[in-house]
Amino acid sequence: MGLREYMNDILEAVVTTAKGMRITARYGVDPKEEVTLQYPEERWEVPERFRGFLHNDVKKCTACTMCVKVCPVDCISLESVRGADKKMVLASYDINIGRCMYCGLCVEVCPPKSLTHTGGYEKASTDRGELILHFIEEDAAEVKARVARQVAEAAAKAAEAAKAAEAAKAAEAPEAADPSSEAGKAAGGDPKPAKEEPKE
Amino acid sequence: MEALTLSLVKAVPALGAAPLWAVSLLLMVASGVVVLVFALTFEGVGSLVLRKVAGDIQARIGPNRVGPNGILQFLADGVKLVLKEDIVPAKADALLFKLAPYLVFVGSFAAFVVVPFGVGLSAADLNIGIYYVMAVTSLVVIGVLLAGWASNNKWALLGGMRAAAQIVSYEIPVGMALIPAVLIAGSLSLQDIVRSQGGLFGLFGWNLFHNPFTFFSFFLYFTAAQAETNQTPFDLPEAESELVSGYNVEYSGIRFGLFFLAEFGDMFIVAALATACFLGGWNVPFIRAEALPGIWGSLLSLGVFLGKAFAMVLVMMWVRWTLPRLRVDQLMRMSWKYLVPLTFVNLLGVSLWLLVFDGKGIPELIASLAG
Repeated sequence: MGLREYMNDILEAVVTTAKGMRITARYGVDPKEEVTLQYPEERWEVPERFRGFLHNDVKKCTACTMCVKVCPVDCISLESVRGADKKMVLASYDINIGRCMYCGLCVEVCPPKSLTHTGGYEKASTDRGELILHFIEEDAAEVKARVARQVAEAAAKAAEAAKAAEAAKAAEAPEAADPSSEAGKAAGGDPKPAKEEPKE
Repeated sequence: MEALTLSLVKAVPALGAAPLWAVSLLLMVASGVVVLVFALTFEGVGSLVLRKVAGDIQARIGPNRVGPNGILQFLADGVKLVLKEDIVPAKADALLFKLAPYLVFVGSFAAFVVVPFGVGLSAADLNIGIYYVMAVTSLVVIGVLLAGWASNNKWALLGGMRAAAQIVSYEIPVGMALIPAVLIAGSLSLQDIVRSQGGLFGLFGWNLFHNPFTFFSFFLYFTAAQAETNQTPFDLPEAESELVSGYNVEYSGIRFGLFFLAEFGDMFIVAALATACFLGGWNVPFIRAEALPGIWGSLLSLGVFLGKAFAMVLVMMWVRWTLPRLRVDQLMRMSWKYLVPLTFVNLLGVSLWLLVFDGKGIPELIASLAG
Protein backbone atom coordinates (compact mmCIF):
# COMPACT_ATOMS: atom_id res chain seq x y z
CA MET A 1 0.00 0.00 0.00
CA GLY A 2 1.63 3.19 -1.16
CA LEU A 3 1.47 6.46 0.67
CA ARG A 4 -0.88 7.93 -1.91
CA GLU A 5 -3.33 5.08 -1.46
CA TYR A 6 -3.04 5.46 2.31
CA MET A 7 -3.84 9.15 2.15
CA ASN A 8 -6.66 8.51 -0.30
CA ASP A 9 -8.17 6.01 2.14
CA ILE A 10 -8.15 8.61 4.89
CA LEU A 11 -9.63 11.25 2.62
CA GLU A 12 -12.35 8.86 1.47
CA ALA A 13 -13.20 7.93 5.06
CA VAL A 14 -13.53 11.59 6.04
CA VAL A 15 -15.56 12.55 2.98
CA THR A 16 -17.95 9.64 3.14
CA THR A 17 -18.48 10.07 6.87
CA ALA A 18 -19.26 13.73 6.34
CA LYS A 19 -21.68 12.89 3.56
CA GLY A 20 -23.46 10.32 5.70
CA MET A 21 -23.63 12.64 8.65
CA ARG A 22 -25.11 15.37 6.50
CA ILE A 23 -27.90 13.06 5.45
CA THR A 24 -28.66 11.88 8.98
CA ALA A 25 -28.50 15.43 10.26
CA ARG A 26 -31.10 16.46 7.73
CA TYR A 27 -33.37 13.70 8.94
CA GLY A 28 -32.57 14.40 12.57
CA VAL A 29 -33.42 18.08 12.34
CA ASP A 30 -36.36 17.76 9.99
CA PRO A 31 -37.93 14.31 10.13
CA LYS A 32 -40.30 14.68 7.19
CA GLU A 33 -42.52 11.74 7.93
CA GLU A 34 -42.77 9.35 10.81
CA VAL A 35 -42.95 5.78 9.65
CA THR A 36 -44.02 4.70 13.12
CA LEU A 37 -47.57 3.43 13.41
CA GLN A 38 -48.80 4.13 16.93
CA TYR A 39 -50.34 0.72 17.00
CA PRO A 40 -53.10 0.43 19.55
CA GLU A 41 -54.49 3.84 18.56
CA GLU A 42 -53.66 3.90 14.88
CA ARG A 43 -54.15 0.85 12.76
CA TRP A 44 -52.90 -0.33 9.46
CA GLU A 45 -55.59 -0.15 6.80
CA VAL A 46 -56.11 -3.73 5.73
CA PRO A 47 -56.08 -4.32 1.95
CA GLU A 48 -59.33 -5.42 0.36
CA ARG A 49 -58.24 -8.96 -0.36
CA PHE A 50 -56.33 -9.48 2.87
CA ARG A 51 -56.68 -12.97 4.28
CA GLY A 52 -57.43 -12.38 7.92
CA PHE A 53 -59.36 -14.61 10.27
CA LEU A 54 -62.13 -16.72 8.77
CA HIS A 55 -65.73 -15.88 9.41
CA ASN A 56 -68.69 -18.07 8.64
CA ASP A 57 -72.09 -16.51 8.15
CA VAL A 58 -73.99 -19.37 9.76
CA LYS A 59 -77.30 -18.14 8.43
CA LYS A 60 -76.11 -18.72 4.88
CA CYS A 61 -74.12 -21.87 5.55
CA THR A 62 -75.59 -25.08 4.15
CA ALA A 63 -73.34 -27.44 6.12
CA CYS A 64 -72.15 -29.00 2.89
CA THR A 65 -68.75 -29.82 4.46
CA MET A 66 -66.82 -28.70 1.41
CA CYS A 67 -64.63 -26.46 3.55
CA VAL A 68 -63.93 -29.29 5.96
CA LYS A 69 -62.88 -31.59 3.14
CA VAL A 70 -60.67 -29.06 1.37
CA CYS A 71 -58.84 -27.74 4.43
CA PRO A 72 -55.22 -28.95 4.27
CA VAL A 73 -54.64 -28.60 7.98
CA ASP A 74 -58.00 -29.78 9.27
CA CYS A 75 -58.72 -26.66 11.19
CA ILE A 76 -62.45 -26.56 10.42
CA SER A 77 -64.88 -28.97 12.04
CA LEU A 78 -68.65 -29.00 11.93
CA GLU A 79 -71.55 -31.09 13.08
CA SER A 80 -74.97 -30.98 11.49
CA VAL A 81 -78.35 -32.67 11.56
CA ARG A 82 -81.04 -32.96 8.90
CA GLY A 83 -83.81 -30.57 9.76
CA ALA A 84 -87.55 -30.89 9.32
CA ASP A 85 -87.47 -29.28 5.86
CA LYS A 86 -84.83 -31.82 4.73
CA LYS A 87 -82.13 -29.14 4.84
CA MET A 88 -78.99 -29.63 6.92
CA VAL A 89 -78.90 -27.65 10.17
CA LEU A 90 -75.57 -26.74 11.72
CA ALA A 91 -75.12 -28.06 15.23
CA SER A 92 -71.61 -26.69 15.60
CA TYR A 93 -69.11 -24.91 13.42
CA ASP A 94 -65.59 -24.45 14.82
CA ILE A 95 -62.47 -23.02 13.23
CA ASN A 96 -59.16 -23.47 14.98
CA ILE A 97 -57.36 -20.31 13.88
CA GLY A 98 -54.30 -21.45 15.76
CA ARG A 99 -53.94 -24.10 13.09
CA CYS A 100 -55.26 -22.16 10.12
CA MET A 101 -52.61 -21.21 7.55
CA TYR A 102 -54.79 -18.70 5.72
CA CYS A 103 -54.54 -20.48 2.38
CA GLY A 104 -58.06 -19.43 1.46
CA LEU A 105 -59.06 -22.74 -0.12
CA CYS A 106 -62.14 -23.07 2.07
CA VAL A 107 -63.34 -19.61 1.04
CA GLU A 108 -62.89 -20.39 -2.63
CA VAL A 109 -64.71 -23.66 -2.40
CA CYS A 110 -67.67 -22.50 -0.32
CA PRO A 111 -70.82 -22.87 -2.49
CA PRO A 112 -73.12 -20.41 -0.65
CA LYS A 113 -70.21 -17.95 -0.14
CA SER A 114 -70.90 -17.91 3.55
CA LEU A 115 -67.26 -18.43 4.53
CA THR A 116 -65.13 -15.31 4.15
CA HIS A 117 -61.84 -13.85 5.24
CA THR A 118 -62.18 -10.86 7.52
CA GLY A 119 -59.59 -8.15 8.07
CA GLY A 120 -58.95 -9.35 11.61
CA TYR A 121 -55.44 -10.24 12.66
CA GLU A 122 -55.27 -9.65 16.42
CA LYS A 123 -56.06 -12.56 18.60
CA ALA A 124 -53.03 -13.12 20.79
CA SER A 125 -53.86 -15.34 23.70
CA THR A 126 -52.16 -17.28 26.43
CA ASP A 127 -54.60 -20.14 26.06
CA ARG A 128 -54.87 -22.23 22.92
CA GLY A 129 -58.51 -22.93 23.65
CA GLU A 130 -59.26 -19.30 22.95
CA LEU A 131 -57.95 -19.73 19.43
CA ILE A 132 -60.86 -22.00 18.51
CA LEU A 133 -63.68 -19.88 17.14
CA HIS A 134 -67.19 -21.22 17.85
CA PHE A 135 -69.66 -19.82 15.36
CA ILE A 136 -72.68 -21.48 17.00
CA GLU A 137 -73.18 -20.36 20.55
CA GLU A 138 -75.42 -23.24 21.55
CA ASP A 139 -74.14 -26.63 22.59
CA ALA A 140 -74.14 -29.10 19.67
CA ALA A 141 -76.15 -31.72 21.62
CA GLU A 142 -78.82 -29.14 22.46
CA VAL A 143 -79.14 -28.09 18.84
CA LYS A 144 -79.41 -31.72 17.79
CA ALA A 145 -82.08 -32.44 20.41
CA ARG A 146 -84.05 -29.34 19.40
CA VAL A 147 -83.90 -30.19 15.71
CA ALA A 148 -84.88 -33.80 16.49
CA ARG A 149 -87.86 -32.51 18.47
CA GLN A 150 -88.86 -30.19 15.64
CA VAL A 151 -88.54 -33.01 13.15
CA ALA A 152 -90.60 -35.29 15.34
CA GLU A 153 -93.26 -32.60 15.76
CA ALA A 154 -93.32 -31.96 12.06
CA ALA A 155 -93.59 -35.67 11.40
CA ALA A 156 -96.39 -36.03 13.94
CA LYS A 157 -98.17 -33.08 12.35
CA ALA A 158 -97.68 -34.59 8.92
CA ALA A 159 -98.98 -37.91 10.13
CA GLU A 160 -102.01 -36.24 11.69
CA ALA A 161 -102.63 -34.31 8.52
CA ALA A 162 -102.26 -37.48 6.52
CA LYS A 163 -104.66 -39.28 8.90
CA ALA A 164 -107.14 -36.46 8.61
CA ALA A 165 -106.82 -36.48 4.85
CA GLU A 166 -107.25 -40.23 4.89
CA ALA A 167 -110.26 -39.96 7.11
CA ALA A 168 -111.72 -37.35 4.83
CA LYS A 169 -110.98 -39.52 1.86
CA ALA A 170 -112.41 -42.54 3.59
CA ALA A 171 -115.53 -40.60 4.44
CA GLU A 172 -115.85 -39.55 0.85
CA ALA A 173 -114.99 -42.77 -0.86
CA PRO A 174 -113.33 -45.68 1.00
CA GLU A 175 -110.71 -46.99 -1.39
CA ALA A 176 -107.36 -48.64 -1.27
CA ALA A 177 -105.19 -48.54 1.93
CA ASP A 178 -102.09 -47.52 -0.03
CA PRO A 179 -101.75 -43.83 0.95
CA SER A 180 -102.37 -44.61 4.63
CA SER A 181 -99.57 -47.17 4.69
CA GLU A 182 -97.24 -44.63 3.12
CA ALA A 183 -98.06 -42.01 5.72
CA GLY A 184 -97.64 -44.57 8.46
CA LYS A 185 -94.20 -45.48 7.18
CA ALA A 186 -93.12 -41.83 7.17
CA ALA A 187 -94.40 -41.35 10.72
CA GLY A 188 -92.71 -44.50 11.92
CA GLY A 189 -89.37 -43.57 10.39
CA ASP A 190 -89.28 -40.19 12.02
CA PRO A 191 -88.14 -40.71 15.66
CA LYS A 192 -84.52 -41.06 14.52
CA PRO A 193 -84.49 -38.68 11.61
CA ALA A 194 -81.06 -37.42 10.79
CA LYS A 195 -78.46 -38.84 13.09
CA GLU A 196 -76.09 -39.07 10.18
CA GLU A 197 -72.98 -36.96 10.57
CA PRO A 198 -71.61 -35.73 7.26
CA LYS A 199 -68.49 -34.61 9.10
CA GLU A 200 -66.63 -37.89 8.65
CA MET B 1 -9.28 19.26 48.70
CA GLU B 2 -7.46 20.70 51.67
CA ALA B 3 -7.94 24.24 50.49
CA LEU B 4 -11.62 23.56 50.00
CA THR B 5 -11.89 22.06 53.48
CA LEU B 6 -10.16 25.05 55.01
CA SER B 7 -12.38 27.49 53.17
CA LEU B 8 -15.45 25.56 54.27
CA VAL B 9 -14.29 25.66 57.88
CA LYS B 10 -13.71 29.39 57.51
CA ALA B 11 -17.18 29.89 56.03
CA VAL B 12 -18.97 27.83 58.67
CA PRO B 13 -17.26 28.46 62.03
CA ALA B 14 -19.29 25.75 63.75
CA LEU B 15 -17.29 23.15 61.81
CA GLY B 16 -14.10 24.36 63.42
CA ALA B 17 -14.85 22.27 66.50
CA ALA B 18 -14.74 19.04 64.48
CA PRO B 19 -11.38 17.51 63.54
CA LEU B 20 -10.12 18.49 60.11
CA TRP B 21 -10.09 14.94 58.76
CA ALA B 22 -13.80 14.54 59.62
CA VAL B 23 -14.72 17.64 57.65
CA SER B 24 -12.53 16.43 54.81
CA LEU B 25 -14.20 13.02 54.84
CA LEU B 26 -17.63 14.61 54.90
CA LEU B 27 -16.70 16.72 51.89
CA MET B 28 -15.38 13.70 50.03
CA VAL B 29 -18.52 11.69 50.64
CA ALA B 30 -20.70 14.64 49.69
CA SER B 31 -18.86 15.30 46.43
CA GLY B 32 -18.90 11.57 45.68
CA VAL B 33 -22.66 11.49 46.15
CA VAL B 34 -23.14 14.57 43.98
CA VAL B 35 -21.06 13.07 41.19
CA LEU B 36 -22.85 9.74 41.48
CA VAL B 37 -26.24 11.40 41.29
CA PHE B 38 -25.09 13.41 38.28
CA ALA B 39 -23.69 10.29 36.60
CA LEU B 40 -26.85 8.28 37.14
CA THR B 41 -29.09 11.11 35.98
CA PHE B 42 -27.00 11.65 32.89
CA GLU B 43 -26.96 7.94 32.13
CA GLY B 44 -30.72 7.71 32.51
CA VAL B 45 -31.54 10.79 30.49
CA GLY B 46 -28.80 9.88 28.02
CA SER B 47 -30.45 6.58 27.25
CA LEU B 48 -33.71 8.40 26.56
CA VAL B 49 -32.07 11.06 24.39
CA LEU B 50 -30.19 8.39 22.48
CA ARG B 51 -33.43 6.69 21.57
CA LYS B 52 -35.13 9.95 20.69
CA VAL B 53 -32.23 10.96 18.44
CA ALA B 54 -32.26 7.53 16.86
CA GLY B 55 -35.98 7.90 16.30
CA ASP B 56 -35.62 11.27 14.60
CA ILE B 57 -32.76 10.17 12.38
CA GLN B 58 -34.54 7.00 11.36
CA ALA B 59 -37.87 8.78 10.79
CA ARG B 60 -39.41 7.00 13.77
CA ILE B 61 -40.90 8.49 16.92
CA GLY B 62 -38.97 6.84 19.73
CA PRO B 63 -40.27 6.34 23.26
CA ASN B 64 -43.42 8.42 23.83
CA ARG B 65 -45.58 6.38 26.19
CA VAL B 66 -44.32 7.01 29.72
CA GLY B 67 -44.87 10.57 30.81
CA PRO B 68 -45.33 13.56 28.51
CA ASN B 69 -43.50 12.82 25.25
CA GLY B 70 -41.90 9.80 26.90
CA ILE B 71 -39.57 11.73 29.17
CA LEU B 72 -40.13 9.36 32.09
CA GLN B 73 -39.17 6.32 30.03
CA PHE B 74 -35.77 5.99 31.67
CA LEU B 75 -37.35 5.81 35.13
CA ALA B 76 -39.64 3.05 33.96
CA ASP B 77 -36.65 1.26 32.47
CA GLY B 78 -34.75 1.64 35.71
CA VAL B 79 -37.62 0.24 37.75
CA LYS B 80 -37.95 -2.63 35.33
CA LEU B 81 -34.26 -3.46 35.50
CA VAL B 82 -34.28 -3.40 39.30
CA LEU B 83 -37.36 -5.59 39.59
CA LYS B 84 -36.26 -8.20 37.05
CA GLU B 85 -35.05 -11.58 38.25
CA ASP B 86 -31.34 -11.74 38.86
CA ILE B 87 -30.11 -14.87 37.12
CA VAL B 88 -26.69 -16.44 37.58
CA PRO B 89 -26.16 -19.32 35.13
CA ALA B 90 -25.78 -22.67 36.90
CA LYS B 91 -22.30 -23.40 35.54
CA ALA B 92 -21.03 -19.83 35.62
CA ASP B 93 -18.29 -18.77 38.00
CA ALA B 94 -20.70 -17.09 40.38
CA LEU B 95 -18.23 -14.83 42.21
CA LEU B 96 -16.53 -13.47 39.08
CA PHE B 97 -19.86 -13.27 37.29
CA LYS B 98 -21.27 -11.07 40.02
CA LEU B 99 -18.10 -9.01 40.31
CA ALA B 100 -17.76 -8.10 36.62
CA PRO B 101 -20.54 -5.51 36.25
CA TYR B 102 -19.28 -3.61 39.30
CA LEU B 103 -15.77 -3.46 37.86
CA VAL B 104 -17.14 -2.10 34.60
CA PHE B 105 -19.31 0.44 36.36
CA VAL B 106 -16.61 1.55 38.78
CA GLY B 107 -14.17 1.88 35.88
CA SER B 108 -16.46 4.27 34.11
CA PHE B 109 -17.78 6.08 37.18
CA ALA B 110 -14.39 6.71 38.80
CA ALA B 111 -13.39 8.79 35.80
CA PHE B 112 -16.12 11.30 36.74
CA VAL B 113 -14.06 12.26 39.77
CA VAL B 114 -11.58 14.41 37.85
CA VAL B 115 -13.95 15.89 35.28
CA PRO B 116 -13.48 19.71 35.47
CA PHE B 117 -17.13 20.72 35.61
CA GLY B 118 -16.33 24.35 36.25
CA VAL B 119 -13.97 26.80 37.95
CA GLY B 120 -12.77 24.72 40.87
CA LEU B 121 -15.70 22.41 40.38
CA SER B 122 -14.38 18.87 40.31
CA ALA B 123 -14.61 16.18 42.93
CA ALA B 124 -10.82 16.02 42.98
CA ASP B 125 -8.38 18.16 41.00
CA LEU B 126 -5.69 15.51 40.66
CA ASN B 127 -2.36 16.66 39.29
CA ILE B 128 -2.29 13.44 37.25
CA GLY B 129 -5.84 13.93 35.92
CA ILE B 130 -5.56 12.57 32.38
CA TYR B 131 -3.25 9.80 33.47
CA TYR B 132 -5.79 8.85 36.15
CA VAL B 133 -8.66 8.76 33.64
CA MET B 134 -6.70 6.54 31.27
CA ALA B 135 -5.75 4.21 34.13
CA VAL B 136 -9.15 3.98 35.70
CA THR B 137 -11.09 3.43 32.47
CA SER B 138 -8.81 0.47 31.80
CA LEU B 139 -10.66 -1.32 34.59
CA VAL B 140 -13.46 -1.71 32.07
CA VAL B 141 -11.32 -4.14 30.08
CA ILE B 142 -10.93 -6.41 33.06
CA GLY B 143 -14.63 -6.23 33.86
CA VAL B 144 -15.68 -6.98 30.32
CA LEU B 145 -13.26 -9.86 29.94
CA LEU B 146 -14.34 -11.19 33.32
CA ALA B 147 -17.99 -10.99 32.34
CA GLY B 148 -17.32 -12.91 29.14
CA TRP B 149 -15.21 -15.53 30.83
CA ALA B 150 -17.32 -16.10 33.94
CA SER B 151 -20.56 -16.49 31.97
CA ASN B 152 -19.38 -19.90 30.74
CA ASN B 153 -20.88 -19.19 27.36
CA LYS B 154 -19.06 -19.25 24.03
CA TRP B 155 -20.71 -16.13 22.71
CA ALA B 156 -20.10 -14.21 25.88
CA LEU B 157 -16.48 -15.29 25.84
CA LEU B 158 -16.03 -14.26 22.21
CA GLY B 159 -17.73 -10.96 22.91
CA GLY B 160 -15.53 -10.35 25.93
CA MET B 161 -12.38 -11.17 23.92
CA ARG B 162 -13.41 -8.84 21.14
CA ALA B 163 -14.25 -6.09 23.58
CA ALA B 164 -10.93 -6.45 25.34
CA ALA B 165 -8.98 -6.47 22.07
CA GLN B 166 -10.83 -3.41 20.89
CA ILE B 167 -10.54 -1.39 24.07
CA VAL B 168 -6.85 -2.18 24.50
CA SER B 169 -6.10 -1.35 20.85
CA TYR B 170 -7.88 1.96 20.91
CA GLU B 171 -6.45 3.05 24.23
CA ILE B 172 -3.18 3.88 22.47
CA PRO B 173 -4.57 6.38 19.93
CA VAL B 174 -6.80 7.88 22.63
CA GLY B 175 -3.83 8.49 24.89
CA MET B 176 -1.63 9.72 22.09
CA ALA B 177 -4.29 12.11 20.83
CA LEU B 178 -4.73 13.63 24.30
CA ILE B 179 -1.05 14.28 24.86
CA PRO B 180 -0.92 17.45 22.66
CA ALA B 181 -3.26 19.11 25.16
CA VAL B 182 -0.97 18.03 27.98
CA LEU B 183 2.06 19.39 26.11
CA ILE B 184 0.46 22.76 25.54
CA ALA B 185 -0.75 23.15 29.12
CA GLY B 186 2.39 21.64 30.60
CA SER B 187 0.26 19.81 33.15
CA LEU B 188 -1.67 16.56 33.48
CA SER B 189 -4.35 18.18 35.64
CA LEU B 190 -7.56 18.68 33.73
CA GLN B 191 -8.23 22.00 35.48
CA ASP B 192 -4.83 23.30 34.37
CA ILE B 193 -5.44 22.13 30.82
CA VAL B 194 -8.74 23.97 30.75
CA ARG B 195 -7.18 27.09 32.23
CA SER B 196 -4.47 27.08 29.58
CA GLN B 197 -7.11 27.55 26.89
CA GLY B 198 -8.63 30.77 28.20
CA GLY B 199 -7.27 34.15 27.49
CA LEU B 200 -8.01 36.94 25.11
CA PHE B 201 -8.50 34.92 21.96
CA GLY B 202 -11.93 33.58 22.86
CA LEU B 203 -12.86 30.70 20.64
CA PHE B 204 -9.39 30.71 19.10
CA GLY B 205 -7.76 30.20 22.45
CA TRP B 206 -9.07 26.65 22.44
CA ASN B 207 -6.63 23.87 21.81
CA LEU B 208 -8.69 22.89 18.80
CA PHE B 209 -7.38 25.99 16.99
CA HIS B 210 -3.99 26.11 18.64
CA ASN B 211 -2.23 24.73 15.60
CA PRO B 212 -3.11 22.41 12.68
CA PHE B 213 -1.87 19.33 14.48
CA THR B 214 -4.12 19.84 17.49
CA PHE B 215 -7.00 20.35 15.10
CA PHE B 216 -6.44 16.90 13.63
CA SER B 217 -5.71 15.53 17.09
CA PHE B 218 -9.22 16.38 18.16
CA PHE B 219 -10.79 14.33 15.39
CA LEU B 220 -8.41 11.46 15.92
CA TYR B 221 -9.21 11.50 19.62
CA PHE B 222 -12.92 11.60 18.95
CA THR B 223 -12.79 8.67 16.54
CA ALA B 224 -10.60 6.56 18.78
CA ALA B 225 -12.64 7.38 21.87
CA GLN B 226 -15.85 6.49 20.14
CA ALA B 227 -14.31 3.12 19.44
CA GLU B 228 -12.98 2.71 22.96
CA THR B 229 -16.44 3.13 24.44
CA ASN B 230 -17.92 0.57 22.02
CA GLN B 231 -20.11 3.12 20.29
CA THR B 232 -21.94 1.90 17.27
CA PRO B 233 -19.67 2.09 14.27
CA PHE B 234 -17.31 0.10 16.45
CA ASP B 235 -19.72 -1.86 18.64
CA LEU B 236 -18.33 -5.25 17.75
CA PRO B 237 -18.37 -6.63 21.28
CA GLU B 238 -22.14 -6.29 21.28
CA ALA B 239 -22.79 -7.20 17.64
CA GLU B 240 -26.24 -8.51 18.43
CA SER B 241 -26.67 -10.10 15.02
CA GLU B 242 -23.62 -12.33 15.22
CA LEU B 243 -22.79 -12.56 18.88
CA VAL B 244 -26.25 -12.40 20.48
CA SER B 245 -25.15 -9.21 22.30
CA GLY B 246 -21.69 -10.38 23.35
CA TYR B 247 -20.20 -10.33 26.82
CA ASN B 248 -23.43 -9.42 28.58
CA VAL B 249 -25.73 -12.11 27.16
CA GLU B 250 -26.05 -13.98 30.40
CA TYR B 251 -26.73 -10.91 32.50
CA SER B 252 -30.18 -9.93 33.60
CA GLY B 253 -31.84 -7.30 35.71
CA ILE B 254 -29.73 -4.67 37.39
CA ARG B 255 -26.46 -6.41 36.55
CA PHE B 256 -27.22 -5.86 32.89
CA GLY B 257 -28.31 -2.35 33.83
CA LEU B 258 -24.86 -1.62 35.27
CA PHE B 259 -23.20 -2.49 31.96
CA PHE B 260 -25.68 -0.26 30.27
CA LEU B 261 -25.11 2.63 32.67
CA ALA B 262 -21.35 2.25 32.30
CA GLU B 263 -21.67 2.59 28.56
CA PHE B 264 -23.50 5.89 28.89
CA GLY B 265 -21.07 7.03 31.58
CA ASP B 266 -18.22 6.35 29.17
CA MET B 267 -19.97 8.41 26.58
CA PHE B 268 -20.03 11.38 28.91
CA ILE B 269 -16.40 10.88 29.94
CA VAL B 270 -15.32 10.87 26.32
CA ALA B 271 -17.32 14.00 25.60
CA ALA B 272 -16.03 15.70 28.77
CA LEU B 273 -12.40 14.91 27.93
CA ALA B 274 -12.88 16.20 24.39
CA THR B 275 -14.38 19.36 25.84
CA ALA B 276 -11.71 19.85 28.47
CA CYS B 277 -8.73 19.07 26.25
CA PHE B 278 -9.74 20.60 22.92
CA LEU B 279 -12.87 22.73 23.25
CA GLY B 280 -11.76 25.03 26.02
CA GLY B 281 -13.53 23.22 28.85
CA TRP B 282 -15.52 25.68 30.93
CA ASN B 283 -13.98 28.72 29.23
CA VAL B 284 -16.49 31.15 27.84
CA PRO B 285 -15.20 33.27 24.96
CA PHE B 286 -14.23 36.78 26.15
CA ILE B 287 -15.52 36.25 29.71
CA ARG B 288 -13.23 35.34 32.56
CA ALA B 289 -15.36 32.96 34.59
CA GLU B 290 -12.73 32.83 37.37
CA ALA B 291 -13.06 36.56 37.92
CA LEU B 292 -16.83 36.64 38.35
CA PRO B 293 -17.98 37.37 41.90
CA GLY B 294 -19.19 34.66 44.23
CA ILE B 295 -20.90 31.59 42.94
CA TRP B 296 -21.71 33.03 39.51
CA GLY B 297 -18.36 32.12 38.02
CA SER B 298 -18.80 28.51 39.05
CA LEU B 299 -22.37 28.37 37.79
CA LEU B 300 -21.57 29.95 34.44
CA SER B 301 -18.58 27.71 33.89
CA LEU B 302 -20.61 24.67 34.93
CA GLY B 303 -23.33 25.51 32.44
CA VAL B 304 -20.86 26.15 29.64
CA PHE B 305 -18.95 22.97 30.30
CA LEU B 306 -22.10 20.84 30.43
CA GLY B 307 -23.41 22.51 27.27
CA LYS B 308 -20.24 21.72 25.36
CA ALA B 309 -20.07 18.18 26.71
CA PHE B 310 -23.70 17.43 25.92
CA ALA B 311 -23.23 18.80 22.43
CA MET B 312 -20.35 16.38 22.01
CA VAL B 313 -22.54 13.55 23.31
CA LEU B 314 -25.12 14.48 20.70
CA VAL B 315 -22.46 14.36 18.01
CA MET B 316 -21.48 10.90 19.22
CA MET B 317 -25.08 9.75 18.93
CA TRP B 318 -25.29 11.36 15.51
CA VAL B 319 -22.23 9.41 14.33
CA ARG B 320 -23.66 6.36 15.97
CA TRP B 321 -26.77 6.37 13.83
CA THR B 322 -24.94 7.31 10.66
CA LEU B 323 -22.22 4.77 10.13
CA PRO B 324 -22.61 1.03 9.68
CA ARG B 325 -20.72 -1.36 11.91
CA LEU B 326 -17.14 -2.23 10.99
CA ARG B 327 -15.89 -5.78 10.60
CA VAL B 328 -13.32 -7.09 13.10
CA ASP B 329 -10.41 -6.88 10.67
CA GLN B 330 -11.48 -3.41 9.53
CA LEU B 331 -11.65 -2.34 13.16
CA MET B 332 -8.15 -3.57 13.93
CA ARG B 333 -6.79 -2.13 10.71
CA MET B 334 -8.33 1.23 11.48
CA SER B 335 -6.67 1.30 14.89
CA TRP B 336 -3.21 0.00 14.09
CA LYS B 337 -2.70 1.13 10.52
CA TYR B 338 -4.41 4.50 10.59
CA LEU B 339 -5.13 5.93 14.03
CA VAL B 340 -1.95 4.90 15.82
CA PRO B 341 0.50 6.21 13.15
CA LEU B 342 -1.52 9.35 12.63
CA THR B 343 -1.64 10.19 16.32
CA PHE B 344 2.11 9.67 16.54
CA VAL B 345 2.69 11.96 13.58
CA ASN B 346 0.38 14.50 15.19
CA LEU B 347 2.20 14.28 18.49
CA LEU B 348 5.49 14.84 16.69
CA GLY B 349 3.98 17.76 14.81
CA VAL B 350 2.68 19.41 17.97
CA SER B 351 6.01 18.96 19.71
CA LEU B 352 7.91 20.47 16.80
CA TRP B 353 5.44 23.34 16.60
CA LEU B 354 5.85 24.11 20.28
CA LEU B 355 9.62 23.91 19.90
CA VAL B 356 9.82 26.07 16.79
CA PHE B 357 7.30 28.74 17.77
CA ASP B 358 8.21 28.82 21.44
CA GLY B 359 4.89 27.39 22.63
CA LYS B 360 2.78 29.93 20.75
CA GLY B 361 -0.38 28.95 18.93
CA ILE B 362 -1.57 30.34 15.62
CA PRO B 363 -3.73 33.10 17.21
CA GLU B 364 -0.83 34.27 19.35
CA LEU B 365 1.49 34.30 16.35
CA ILE B 366 -0.95 36.39 14.39
CA ALA B 367 -1.40 38.72 17.33
CA SER B 368 2.37 39.13 17.74
CA LEU B 369 2.73 39.78 14.00
CA ALA B 370 0.02 42.42 14.15
CA GLY B 371 1.26 43.98 17.39
